[in-house]
This record gives sequence, structure tokens and C-alpha cells, in this order.
Amino acid sequence: MRNKLATVFAGAGMLLAVAPVRAHHAFAAEFNEKAPLKLQGVVTKWELVNPHSWIHLDVKGPDGKITSWMVEGGSPNSLFRNGFTKESLPEGTEIIVEGYQAKDGANRAVGANLTYAKDGKRLFMGGSAPGSNGDGK
Amino acid sequence: MGIQSAKMRGSWLLVGAAGAALLSLAVLPSPAQAPYKAPKTKDGKPNLNGIWQANNEANWDIRPHAAYAGPVYTLGAAYSTPAGLGVVEGGEIPYKPEAAAKQKENFTNRLKLDPEIKCYMGGVPRSTYMPYPFQIVQGTGHIMIAYEFAGAVRDINMGAPTKAPADSWMGWSNGHWEGESLVVDVTSLNDSTWFDRAGNWHSDALHVIERYTAIGPDALQYEATIDDPKVFTRQWKMSMPLYRRLEKNAQLLEYKCVEFAEEVLYGHLRKQPLQGKGDSK
Amino acid sequence: MRRCVLFSLIALAVVSLVAAPMFAQAPVTAKPAPAAKAWTMPRTPDGKPDLQGVYSNATTVPVARPANLGAKEFYESEEEKAAIAAAAAAVAAGRAGRGGAARPAAAADPEGNGLAVHYDNGQFGLGGSSAKRVASLRTSIITGPEGRVPAMLPEAAKIIADRRAYQQAHQWDSAQNRPLAERCITWGFEGPPMMPVGYNSTLEIVQGQGYVAIVQEMIHDTRVIPTDGRPHGPAEIKRWMGDSVGHWEGDTLVVETVNYNPLVLIQGGPVSDAAKVIERFTRVDADTVQYQFTVDDPKTWVKPFSGEYNMVHIDGPVYEYACHEGNYGMANNLSGARATEKK
Repeated sequence: MRNKLATVFAGAGMLLAVAPVRAHHAFAAEFNEKAPLKLQGVVTKWELVNPHSWIHLDVKGPDGKITSWMVEGGSPNSLFRNGFTKESLPEGTEIIVEGYQAKDGANRAVGANLTYAKDGKRLFMGGSAPGSNGDGK
Repeated sequence: MGIQSAKMRGSWLLVGAAGAALLSLAVLPSPAQAPYKAPKTKDGKPNLNGIWQANNEANWDIRPHAAYAGPVYTLGAAYSTPAGLGVVEGGEIPYKPEAAAKQKENFTNRLKLDPEIKCYMGGVPRSTYMPYPFQIVQGTGHIMIAYEFAGAVRDINMGAPTKAPADSWMGWSNGHWEGESLVVDVTSLNDSTWFDRAGNWHSDALHVIERYTAIGPDALQYEATIDDPKVFTRQWKMSMPLYRRLEKNAQLLEYKCVEFAEEVLYGHLRKQPLQGKGDSK
Repeated sequence: MRRCVLFSLIALAVVSLVAAPMFAQAPVTAKPAPAAKAWTMPRTPDGKPDLQGVYSNATTVPVARPANLGAKEFYESEEEKAAIAAAAAAVAAGRAGRGGAARPAAAADPEGNGLAVHYDNGQFGLGGSSAKRVASLRTSIITGPEGRVPAMLPEAAKIIADRRAYQQAHQWDSAQNRPLAERCITWGFEGPPMMPVGYNSTLEIVQGQGYVAIVQEMIHDTRVIPTDGRPHGPAEIKRWMGDSVGHWEGDTLVVETVNYNPLVLIQGGPVSDAAKVIERFTRVDADTVQYQFTVDDPKTWVKPFSGEYNMVHIDGPVYEYACHEGNYGMANNLSGARATEKK
């Protein structure tokens, strides 16, 4: 029987039976593609919530002033399935966020690319298979 | 002499009969002494399957209280708080002093702060005693409890206990049987739920141990032991009966309440303010 | 080369023989193909087939068959499937460069869908390749020679068109004007019929006495389906997931659902008060449950349509997806829309 092969299927490059992400989230209204930014800061809180997780970080400006930012990321559920927990991004971790700022001007951004400041490695499951959703580089 | 003797004999007979009756009561187990045992499922466990509902005032206020006014005067008596004997064993919640102050603050601001108003899931144990039915579906290896309010649901793992990766609204439930009781250890609850509409609260250190025990064919006794060292000076317990919904074709209906909370949460961000809705703040 | 062709022909012949029942246009009555090896159906303590477990219904099979495949219901092999997909991707890429819609540079456009202002799904394991799926050579979830939804009746199409027109003018007016998924009311894949989701495509089945409960992770939507032969509830009570009752036909759980909330869409069509959805669940081996469905809505579609896919067992659990509780995005979106209007 054909479908008895319950194997893990890498699916690289394959079409997914999905509705586009925009069906659920209008990023275009929330964040400004004309306002790209790069933040370097220290994690103060990692909100493992849905529909999007949020990393809170304190960013020190050139004048030494600290500004609090919150950065939108993806649903944490798949991270859990891959063994990540709330301990996986401890307070005090220094990260770099490349993304886009909120349209309403708040200290809020979407994090298109998240890396550790110390070694430049991508947070979580950064090394996605080429051709699948995720690795645009 | 004869009548006197008959009376005496009669009295002794009465005493004798009373004595025999007392004796029989003492010797045979009375219904109050033999605990009820629910029929077993085919795999030998107490059968707790069914649709259950609390029938008390705990969701209004878990403490013993007289009736008091609701937070919206235009809703008058209809949405005032009815009196309740309370479900807290001993009556008093053992708050630390600063935590007790916070509860009073919560109460004052309950219109803004009560997560129920925002249609947030009720957490544990509040979901058990919100005034809506819930359903226990007792499978093998897992027991599911589905609640009406906000469509909340819990999966109770009946196998080897596991650990949560992070906090959640309905917590992480590991269960096991102790005799006739289903015992559920609930951890990893977030800090955002309340115990009731009166602002009784907890932190993210909350640890709840629930016990569900059949006390009759259509009733369970529910106990929840509350442990939160950040908020309380000691462990405390609440307990209450839960009653089976006996209507023909009793079923859970949907109570996806998001639509009823959107104006409260997002009304201030409307393009045009709503007409005639009063203060949307 | 010749051996390759011969192998393909043999594979096709074997596939056709084994899959013959699946080509039926009315799988409501079709029986699933028998398991190839000796295997005993596990049973719950009360003797019913044991469907319990946590499953992934993630798949690479699209809902609708790619138009160029015509009536081809199955690929002949994984190789053929890969080749066809690569060719399609090349055409799409080429089209973009030849004066198609301008696309941002790949680096700034990780989803490749023009939504540059997006987090990287792959970084959160949401990219699809990390989900466990059943291998499948189906060309589409929707079965039959067309492999796509039938035509919509004019009245139904008008409902959709009117809604779309209204949305054009009002989509940012308020939370209530946003799509159901953005409001965290339903995700749009719960159905029934339950459809694979882009990520977190996970569900759990628990069977208690007289009931089969199904929880779908997106968005913690639970159906507790009675199998005690009761009728549906009152027609006045419309439900986001409809009103489901089930019964066993041999070793298959058959679920019938009616009375949907009129705002529900199934494959882009409005669900009328005449809609009836049938689902069939059959465990076919230790790890797999076959899922078949038929949508029959005579006020929306010119004829019924059916679909099929398999769900594969995974090590659970279903994680809580508390969408509304964490929906910062709604306030942020509306705030962004108000800020944009001021400019």
C-alpha cells in the first residue's frame, strides 16, 4: 500500500499545501519596509506566546541611554518540538536583530534575521535547508 | 400491680428494641461510611467520562462573602455578585501582606484587569468552576478535558510524567490514579489568570494538584491544592462538588468569546469611534 | 535508460492496481486499500478501533492539482514528482525576471513571497522541512479527475465578491474587519474538513466512552464527537466548526457535520445552511490514519467534492496555541493603520 511509507520527508524545494502567511498576518500594515533597522541589545525577556513570540531587549544607544525594544518572531511551538525551551534564550544574552520597524513609530520591530552577537550564529534553527522557506541567503 | 407490670414490661421492650437498633447500626456499615465507587471503564479505571459543571459562586469570588455590587452600575443587580459560602478550605486565602494588597488593587480595577473580560482562557483551577459545562474524555494514556469558555482544552498525560518547555494558559498536566481519585499535577501555568472575578491572583510559580473523585453516579468531589511561594505564606486548598449535566443530548457548545472582547481590547484603535457605546476606554 | 522506463511502467502498474479504489469519485463509500503486511487493528478497551494518538497532517501535496497535470491523480515516482516541481519553479522564477511583479532581493525576502517585512520562518522551525509528513505520490488532496474544487454557484460567488469589495474599503477600520485568523477566532484549516496547515499542523485524538475527541493545534480547536447515535443539535445553533456526530462503519469512524457559522469558508466558498461534510477516519497501520472527506453544499458548489490524505503519528504533545491571548499583532496592525492614515 502506497501510503504505508510513513517516512520523514525532507521536502526540499517542494510546494507546500499551505495558504500564504499573509492570510493570517498583515505584516504590511504593522511594519515598514522602508524602515529597515539593525539593533544590538541584551535580552530582558523572551515571551513564548502565539501567534508570534516576542524578544524584549535593551539596546544601548551611542549616548549610553538604554531603550527597550520588542521584536516579533515566529510561533514557538515548532521550537518546542525541536527541543528548545524557555531556557534556550536566557536573559542577558546579547543578540543582533535585523528587521523592520513598526509603522506606528513604537520601539517595536519584526526580526527578519536574529543572530548571537558573540559569534554571528543564527538563533534557534537558523540553518534552514536551502530552497525551503526560511533561508533567503 | 398487673398494669404497672405491663407498662414496665412495655418500657423494657422499648429499651430493648432501641438497644437492638443501636447495636445493629453500630455493627452494619451505614451508607455514609462506605465510600461510593464509580463504575469502572473497560480498562479498570474509575469512569469519570461525562459532562460536568460546578454549581456555586466561586467564579464570582472564591472567598466566603455576602452579595456585593458589580463593577458596572448600569448593569444593576443582574451583574452584581451573589453571596457565596466560599470554596476555600478554612475560608481565608493565606496571602503574604504585599500580595493581599495587590489583590485589593486587582479588585478595585477588575473591570480593566479581569482576564475573563478579555476572553482569555481561565487557567487552572478557575476553568473548572466557571459556570459552564466541561467534558472529561477518558482515553487510554491520555485524558482530555474540554471547557466551553474560550474553547480551552487540556491534555492530561497519564503515562510517565513529562516537563513543559514553557508556561501556558492551561498549564502542563501529568496525571495518575490514587485509588478512586484522578490526581493531576499541574505546573507551568503562566501568571496571567485569576482565581475569580474578585482579583484573587497568583504568580507564575503556581503549582496546582487536583483531585477528581466520584461521590455518586452524577457527582464528583473536586479538590485543588494551591502552592505558590511567591504569593502565599503556605499551601491552601479549595474544594467543591461537580455535577453531571443530565439533560438528554447534553453537549458542550461553542463559547469562542473573542468577538465579545474585541471592542474592549481594540475599540480605541478604530478608524471611526462607535456611536452610542459610551466610554470605550 | 530502458530499465528505467520498464521500472516506471511496472511501478505505474503496481501503483494503479493498489490504488484502484482511490480513484473512485465518491470515496464516501470506497473502502481503503488493505495493508500490505499482516497487522492487527488495535482496539480501545470498549472494542472500537483505536485512533488515539498525536498526528502530523503536514504534507507537500497541494490542495488543488497543478493545472498542467490534468487528470493525473498520482505521480509515478518521487523522481517524477521532483522533476515536475523543479520545472514549475524554474518557470515561476523566469517569469519574475521577465517583467513580472518586482520582487525584493532574496536576502530581504526570506519567504520569497514579496513580504519582505517578515520574520524568518525557518529560524523558528516553521519552514516546513522540519515537520514530519507521510510520503505521498498524490498530485492533490482533492481527489478525482479534476483534482480541484468545482465551480461555485453564482449566488455563492456573489457573497464572496461582495465581501471582498467591502473589505477593499474597510479592511483596516476595526478588529472586527480583519480576517478570522487574524482575529484568532478560527485559523481556517480546522474545518471540518481538517486541512494541513503551513506550520504546527498537529492534532490529537482521544477516545472516551461514546465520544471521539479531536484537538487541532491551530488554534486549540476541539471537537468532542458523540458516537452514541444522537441527532445533530438544534439548527439555530450555528458553530464555527459545525455540529459533528459520528458513528462506526466497520472499522471506519464516519463523522457528519452540519450547521456551520455562515462566516466560515471551505476552500474559499461560503458555507451555506445546506452544507454537509462527511469525514472518514481509518487506521491503516501502526503509524498512519487515513483521512477522507466529502464536502456537499448544494447552495455553494455545483457538485460535491472529496479529498484524501494520511496523517502520521508523531511523538506529541500538541502544544498550546493560545492565539487571542498573545495577539499583540491585532493592536499593532490597527495602530500602524491609524499612523499611516495620519500621514
